[in-house]
Amino acid sequence: MPDISLFSVVAGSAEPIYRQLVAQVRRCVAGGQLKAGDELPSVRDLAQSLAVNPMTVSKAFGLLEAEGLVTRRRGLAMVIAEQHRRAQPAADRVDLLRPTLERAAQEVRQLQLPSSQALALFKTILHEHEGE
Amino acid sequence: MNASQDHAVPACLSLRGLSVSFGAQRVLDGLDWQLPTGQVVGLLGRNGAGKTTLIEALLGLREPDAGQALLLGQPSQALPDDVRARIGYVPQRSDLFEWLTADQLLAYFRSFYPRWNDAMVQGLMSRWDIARDKPIGKLSGGQQQRLSIVRALAHQPELLVLDEPVASLDPAGRRDFLGELVDQVVDRRTTVLFSTHILSDLERVAVDVAFLTGGRIALHAPLDELLESSVRLGGVPADIARFVSEHRLQALSRDARGPVVARRRDASGMPPATPTVSVDPATLEDLFLALTA
Repeated sequence: MPDISLFSVVAGSAEPIYRQLVAQVRRCVAGGQLKAGDELPSVRDLAQSLAVNPMTVSKAFGLLEAEGLVTRRRGLAMVIAEQHRRAQPAADRVDLLRPTLERAAQEVRQLQLPSSQALALFKTILHEHEGE
Repeated sequence: MNASQDHAVPACLSLRGLSVSFGAQRVLDGLDWQLPTGQVVGLLGRNGAGKTTLIEALLGLREPDAGQALLLGQPSQALPDDVRARIGYVPQRSDLFEWLTADQLLAYFRSFYPRWNDAMVQGLMSRWDIARDKPIGKLSGGQQQRLSIVRALAHQPELLVLDEPVASLDPAGRRDFLGELVDQVVDRRTTVLFSTHILSDLERVAVDVAFLTGGRIALHAPLDELLESSVRLGGVPADIARFVSEHRLQALSRDARGPVVARRRDASGMPPATPTVSVDPATLEDLFLALTA
């Protein structure tokens, strides 16, 4: 069964909702949480559960298909494409984190915080979520 | 459903030179606007910008001083009953008959509409927990608003006009309502005009957004495209002005009070920040503040 809980959207972000969805699938595929043959939820189910416009979900799925991350199986379901059998090497995965950390680094500089303090906070946050 | 939906339909809504004044105050000032069929469009404006006046005028509930409003191809001021039956409207203030019970009200409206969907009505009444046999005047504001939404959805309108439909709903109620709206859009390709100041709700469901300010629609664009092409600039005005002209940006801010937001004219990436000008992606809130100041 497709796992809808892999998806979430944040309103109020500068990143359009369809891009948020695309980035989430990219990360889940890179991390191996979604593998070749895994089904994505239907447009309708995902739109319903996130309370977003179905056209937004379709747009995200269309983009993922164009990127070759998913394929449209006969019938309705989108599945993760054949070549994504296992998680990418950590060295590649960490690159996906760069844009987010670059933004964080910029804020650290604006706040004039020493990097040791920023890193300590990041460590704390990482551990908070490990406990979940 | 009916066959007329199968061939090309005229623009769902077309407004030309619409003006409405209250005394000396001109609320709508020669407003032009087209609403594409089958889209969810968010109408944004500050309090007092004239959103309700615009909605009332386009529905033919308020006579404009000048200009023309066409709704589903017909003049709004003289809508035939069969066209009126294809429109659903949730007014900002509940206009339900307060002495009737919800069941009596729905039975009354049902008699006017050939496409009344009783199964949906019954489902929503139970799911939304609306008391059926209390006088409507005794229901809470949130329950009255839900009932008003049920009434507007019940006849499966082609065009749904919502004037601040969620103002008295709590977050859970708003979520239920958005889910229902999503269902409507999937099933029937309903055109939805949605006025609200709750930007987070709008962001989830609107494909296009339109900003009402100064009595006109200042901008109507697809939300995704607007977010991707807009930046918020920080710095002193002279540096920002130079930056905007160097990168050939289109300044969107109407005055100096709100954030400075500018839009790229082409598909080029975000212009890089300089030591004197900061560049951040703009949010819908930035755009709202900039465009409706």
